[in-house]
Amino acid sequence: MPMDFSYKETWLHKINPSLKLLVMVLIFIHLLLIHNTNILINYMIGMLVLYLFFTGHPWRRLLVISIPFLFIFLTSSTSMIFFGKGEITWAEWGLVHITEESFFRGLHLGFRGIIFAVLGIVFALTTRPVFLFYSLMQQLKLKPKYAYSFMAAIRLIPLMIEEMQTLHYALKVRGVQGEKGVRGFYNKLKSYSIPLLSQSIRRAYRIAVAMEAKRFSIPGNRTYFYRLGFSKFDVIFLCYLLVIIPLAYITANHFPYFSITDVRFGR
Amino acid sequence: MTTIASMTNMRLKFPGAESLLFEDFSLSFDKGEKVLILGPSGSGKSTLLHVLTGLIPHAVEVPMKADALTIPESWGVLFQDPDSQFCMPYVDEEIAFVLENLQIPREKMKLYINHYLEQVGLEFADTHTKIQTLSGGMKQRLAIASVLALEPEVLCLDEPTAMLDPEGTKLVWDTIKSVGEEKTVVIVEHKIGQVVDFVDRVILLDENGTIIADGPKQTVFDQHSHVLVEQGIWYPGVWEDYMQENDRQMPSPINTAHVKPAVHLSDFSAFRGKVTALHVEEARAYPGEWVTVLGKNGGGKSTLLLAMMNLIKTRGTYHILGQDYKRIKHMAAYVSFVFQNPEYQFVTNSVYEEIAFSLHLAKWDQEAISQRVNQMMTIYHLEEHKHTHPYQLSMGQKRRLSVAASIVKEQPIILLDEPTFGQDAKNTFAILEQLEQLRAKGTTIIMVTHDLNIVNYFATKVWEIDHGKRVKESSALNYIETLQQAVNS
Repeated sequence: MPMDFSYKETWLHKINPSLKLLVMVLIFIHLLLIHNTNILINYMIGMLVLYLFFTGHPWRRLLVISIPFLFIFLTSSTSMIFFGKGEITWAEWGLVHITEESFFRGLHLGFRGIIFAVLGIVFALTTRPVFLFYSLMQQLKLKPKYAYSFMAAIRLIPLMIEEMQTLHYALKVRGVQGEKGVRGFYNKLKSYSIPLLSQSIRRAYRIAVAMEAKRFSIPGNRTYFYRLGFSKFDVIFLCYLLVIIPLAYITANHFPYFSITDVRFGR
Repeated sequence: MTTIASMTNMRLKFPGAESLLFEDFSLSFDKGEKVLILGPSGSGKSTLLHVLTGLIPHAVEVPMKADALTIPESWGVLFQDPDSQFCMPYVDEEIAFVLENLQIPREKMKLYINHYLEQVGLEFADTHTKIQTLSGGMKQRLAIASVLALEPEVLCLDEPTAMLDPEGTKLVWDTIKSVGEEKTVVIVEHKIGQVVDFVDRVILLDENGTIIADGPKQTVFDQHSHVLVEQGIWYPGVWEDYMQENDRQMPSPINTAHVKPAVHLSDFSAFRGKVTALHVEEARAYPGEWVTVLGKNGGGKSTLLLAMMNLIKTRGTYHILGQDYKRIKHMAAYVSFVFQNPEYQFVTNSVYEEIAFSLHLAKWDQEAISQRVNQMMTIYHLEEHKHTHPYQLSMGQKRRLSVAASIVKEQPIILLDEPTFGQDAKNTFAILEQLEQLRAKGTTIIMVTHDLNIVNYFATKVWEIDHGKRVKESSALNYIETLQQAVNS
């Protein structure tokens, strides 16, 4: 079954992929150092704007993708809300102990989870793997050996999905019934993974030989079909962040949503 | 004549194998020669191409020694599987990959890409097209284009059309013939109908990797025709020889006046997602009939089989031996299904267990199972491999096992999706004979195929699928006659 995954290209697509990757990693680290929920909420809004308006993907798809975000938010925040430490008790049922501190810390974790997810998805939705690896080779001097291996591997994924569908039918025809419990799960895992793996290993070997037959290992400088450099879009991206992040701090200071400014216990 | 590639006293052994694959093997090729290498599977034909091009031992580490080895200065290899010889997702990127390897300046790449695509007769409105969306024949021609980008003197072809339909096969060979005219071409094949006019020298290997014959094609074919038969090679006229030798009668049309159909489809639709993928106005198959399902690739042949097995969403009338399909709980009790790739169907760890699997599910007692399985193993020549893991069997054995395991309960209807695809002549005839025996006993066979020879010599009926929308029913005899008339006029 062919999958339609078309999208419009936006300025986010045109950012240099290596730069995008590095900036995202820096933002991830920065996020870990923020303990003020007010800042985090503003930060989140800034990132959500990128996700909602600039990925170039249709609304429906964006909505479907955001379902797991909510799940991440709920799971990571509730466990902290219910079981976290705190002194000002709001409610208590047996093991569950909700306090004001744990409530805010839970929210904080949930928001942080959402930002992680949003940024990851924005990166994935706006970066073609081929460009990412070309850029990694050109800007970050990744060895072509690794870059092309990854690109070849990505090509195998849709083939594997198709195979899985066929395998599903074949097992059904043979009358393989889903057993329950751990044993059933183990059997199911075995009956899917062994044929898929054996097929993939064979395929990977053949692709490797085919790549060698196309003189992949000639030593010397490769030329590149795609030249990835920097453009005004990289500047726009950096400027956006340089405006949004300080703005998140300033508005949080002047117009806080909550009076708590540090969610860590004991501070 | 100048020698372009040669090897003297080459010895090669795969790690773990019991004996040498090649021992004191010598061979040489002259510039401009068109050579066909024939041999049974496992005789090391592909390995020979790898040695000839230096892929062994430079890329694939296999212990190999030779007194002298001349590798051509420039060479290219076209492989068998269209899906596992590309490493990039788009057409232009794939050819660019070769150009990058050769350090062609970036500015010239577009020009080269168009040039090579033109040589193989591929036209795209935009060369930035997904390889995934191409047909098998187009993929192989793209592979030829990227091989041409290497500007090879020697072209090595490793069964390039083994996985293509007849139309793709013809196009690919036409392309090879036009681009290979000036080059040295070494071909490994077991379907030789398309290549026999193109080559001038034939090398015949036996299963131990020794040369039985090497010389001009006519001499080799005249003196060794029996070897071709023994090795299951698809030479022109193999069908006629087979029919004559086995004195097979053409199947006669069944008198269906007083028989209930085994399968009756009427106003029957199959869906893929929300799209109607197939609609059958009216089609019947009777006990003892052999129906071949014909039609273009992607036209809905496989969809029909999946629908008849009730694996996808369907609507309309479908009766199996007079029963409504919606009331049948276990389709597998009436209908068995043989998939194109046998490996997907294997669910156990040994040949014996594989055949016994459905019987265990049906709760037969041990005694009866053992008797039935042994019987099946004898019929399908698998006794020696009783305890072998299905994955360790040869191609032909896997195919036979998948058929044996599917039909062990003697269901009245068998659906098969191109069961002879990629098999050599010997295996193909073995499968067809076994199916014919079942048919003679009253089983209904419904088989997707591209091979018109099967229609001609085995089938009784044809269902022709026309772009998924219509199924035309005709007797096999009528179908072949109409086809011949069309060719003659």
